[in-house]
Amino acid sequence: MENFRLMDPAEVEFLAEKEMVQIVPNFSQDIIYLIGGEIGPFNPSLPVDVPLWLAVNLKERQKCRINAPQWMDIEQLEAKKEEETEAQFFTEMPSPHYMEVTQLLLKCAPEIPRADEMRTLVKDIWDLRMAKFRRSIDLLVKSDHTHAKVNHLTLMEINTMRPFLTKALDQIHSLRTNTQSAGYIAPQ
Amino acid sequence: MANSQASSSRSGYYEENYFSIDDILATHERIKCKFEVPVFRLGFLDMTTDNEHISPGSKLDLPFWLARVLCNKRNKKKHIADVEIPKQYKESYREILLADANVVDLHKLGPYYYTFGAQLLKFDPADASDIASSLVQTFQGRFRNIMDSSQNAYNEDNARLTAKLDEMEKDLFKAGQKGLNDFQDWETRRVEKLQTSTMVVNHKKRKRAALIE
Amino acid sequence: MFCEKALDLIRELQRSRGASLPPFNEDTLRHVLEEMKALYEQNQQDVNDAVQGEAGLFSGVQIRHAALERNKRCILAYLQNRLKTTRDMRWEFGSVLPADVKYNLSEAEIQWFNKYNKSLANYMRSLGEDGGLDLTQDMKPPKTLYIEVRCKVDHGEFETQEGSIVLLKKNSQHFLLRSECEHLIRQGILEHIVH
Repeated sequence: MENFRLMDPAEVEFLAEKEMVQIVPNFSQDIIYLIGGEIGPFNPSLPVDVPLWLAVNLKERQKCRINAPQWMDIEQLEAKKEEETEAQFFTEMPSPHYMEVTQLLLKCAPEIPRADEMRTLVKDIWDLRMAKFRRSIDLLVKSDHTHAKVNHLTLMEINTMRPFLTKALDQIHSLRTNTQSAGYIAPQ
Repeated sequence: MANSQASSSRSGYYEENYFSIDDILATHERIKCKFEVPVFRLGFLDMTTDNEHISPGSKLDLPFWLARVLCNKRNKKKHIADVEIPKQYKESYREILLADANVVDLHKLGPYYYTFGAQLLKFDPADASDIASSLVQTFQGRFRNIMDSSQNAYNEDNARLTAKLDEMEKDLFKAGQKGLNDFQDWETRRVEKLQTSTMVVNHKKRKRAALIE
Repeated sequence: MFCEKALDLIRELQRSRGASLPPFNEDTLRHVLEEMKALYEQNQQDVNDAVQGEAGLFSGVQIRHAALERNKRCILAYLQNRLKTTRDMRWEFGSVLPADVKYNLSEAEIQWFNKYNKSLANYMRSLGEDGGLDLTQDMKPPKTLYIEVRCKVDHGEFETQEGSIVLLKKNSQHFLLRSECEHLIRQGILEHIVH
């Protein structure tokens, strides 16, 4: 156990499981009342939105089919990848949990058409964004600025860099404090 | 935490953590001291002579924590010895670091290059501000390499890199690896599997090793 | 040089990072305390001599005082870092330490462990309603109520909450309540099987 426990990706995934996805059930069931909200009613062959955790659970028990979200469409993902490549800053992702949703959905529903291509595209976008993330961290550390504003990062992305980034900022801060005490003025 | 070692330091400098193992080890690094006044009854600290006392002009390599007490430029009454700033923080080394910080083996110059360097500033050397800014620039110059390799699976390449990192940089590298490994455990679904706790695993390893011996 | 023994204690901690504790080093600790006593007495002597009129002794006093403070810091860091590991061991090994792990603790550390154990148990019992909340469970969000496990060692009989007895024999496989066997997995007795 560490002094301060960092957030585990399993916990990020837990939050992602609250995202809504569309399923087509093969059973009937009245509305279920839960603390997190009402779910259902379920009617055979009638699409209904449910949280991801329930969709995965029903799918594993063969109680439904899952419709992949629109943004997971191959053409849309290709366009997103293009946009992310072109843009200097981070673009807004269609889902704040795009990595986790893709991972969980494709794992329990491999029959989704063109699943492999989807997986590859999403991973490409992830890699592009992480490279961008590292570039901006490097700029910040080299710039002598003390803060930076970054939009549209997702929780999983932040979480992956968090141990490194917080430590790096601590270290550069302690080194800069020394320079200020030694009467050093940072070049502008 | 109150800290007797750094109690007379100017506010703002890197403050040690009293209980930190790394800080204690970093403040054990040796530094050359030249005695300005005689010190009675402590001659045995100077292994080169049999004298009962330390005489002025004696040069001794002493750990930082002791040098810190001996060198008091601001209080002449308490000033016992001058310190010599180690060469790896002097101008010639600073120039090498400025030219290309990435090729330098900071572990060899350290292993607590930054922490010890920051401690040296407490002696108020004439080139304090140059040392301080050299520490920042060195870190900035090496940063990208450390970050990028910490985001790759551990292999020969980054093993070669980490061998040249000072302890603070190693810590940073490890933090990067932790983020990456946690993510990869998630990506490969290893995360779903409940694991034996690390301490138990290490304990068993040690027991097995002891049995073999 | 002063404080070399004290630094041995610190190096010992550095080497054992991330593992359970090495034996409590009573011997070295005693050496350090003896050195501190000698330093203190010599300083008393020098101060007395100075009061009698002998000049130039204060530099020595200053040095010995620094050595005293340094020794103190090393000893406190040794004890404090060991306590932190002792606390972590509660979460890693569970409420009962394996005999050979416990063997490496000092009497005072064992007492501290027992007290920590007790306060943690009291606190967990006070949480929520009926029976409290076990904070050492579900360190990651659980996915299922039951999990499949394989025995890594011969552990003996195990009584489930439902009252049935399961024989945990090496290489046998079982389907158990996750909440019941999570700590056995953490202790390395069971292995979680994931498909």
